[in-house]
Amino acid sequence: MATNPMHQFEVYSIGPDISLGVLNLSFTNASLFMLVSAVIISFLLFLGAKKKSLVPSKIQLVTEMTYTFVAKMINDTTGNNAKVFFPFIFTLFMFVLFCNMIGMLPYSFTVTSHIIVTFTLAATIFIGVTVIGFLRHGIKYLELFVPKGVPIILLPLIVVIEIISYLSRPVSLSVRLFANMMAGHTMLKVFGGFVISLGLLGGWLPLGFSVALTGLEILVAFLQAYVFAILTCIYLNDALNLHH
Amino acid sequence: MEDFKKISARLEIAKKKIKKNLIKDDSANVTSLGKAFKISTELVASVVVGTTLGYILDNWFDTKPWLIICFFFMGVAAGILNVIRSAKNMHRNLKK
Repeated sequence: MATNPMHQFEVYSIGPDISLGVLNLSFTNASLFMLVSAVIISFLLFLGAKKKSLVPSKIQLVTEMTYTFVAKMINDTTGNNAKVFFPFIFTLFMFVLFCNMIGMLPYSFTVTSHIIVTFTLAATIFIGVTVIGFLRHGIKYLELFVPKGVPIILLPLIVVIEIISYLSRPVSLSVRLFANMMAGHTMLKVFGGFVISLGLLGGWLPLGFSVALTGLEILVAFLQAYVFAILTCIYLNDALNLHH
Repeated sequence: MEDFKKISARLEIAKKKIKKNLIKDDSANVTSLGKAFKISTELVASVVVGTTLGYILDNWFDTKPWLIICFFFMGVAAGILNVIRSAKNMHRNLKK
């Protein structure tokens, strides 16, 4: 059981079973790790923002750096009028980043390696962006599906293609994060299994690979959080500014 | 007064240095790797969405298997369109 590389993704309930009709609302290990990352983020930011000294302490420096990082990202992709959405994008970025990073610790559970979690995040963004688009532009938002300068005969085909392309956004957003996290963690576990089965003689090579892969996984964990946040910004930009 | 001038001159130089570093920061490897991840999934996702849409509509109108075939190819077209679009965006950002 321990050598099964997929065993680490198993969701099981902790504590009593709670069910509401057909819904199973038990507190699982996934919920535990989501809670843990939320608590760590709040704690870190609270500590960092508590004492505003001119010469920042280390924790204040980290907080300020994440703030400027996200602020710059929003400014570069969406322009000035997206400042209102800063809290949402900052929360999203920090949550995905910490879920990924906590998943890198041994014996922990990677929340973002489950497609239902990432798809829920992506679907929320997708619905939110669509609503914002319609609120800002009214029925004119549908012009997003009708590119300029297309002959009238081709128009039905193009509109269908544009709609498919629009609908593919949450899918690509969620599948990217989930696939990267799951593939990385499975690979780590497989190489770990090789170390055990090859023993003291041949186990050194896969051990080296595992060490290198751990480094790569930390990079991917940060990168996927970054991509997730920046794509949200790009989708927001489409909804706010409405031109391709 | 002279001190003040000296300080402002040094400040200007420091500001310029920071600006230079910021521009260098933009072309860092991290962002380009992120872009590579982005493009690769975009192509696949559109095909999946197109095919699923075709499957659902087929069940609705009882026209198996025609709509799924049409929508598969439209999904491919949408995927290619997505990739071209994001590549164009990257190009524009690079020029900036």
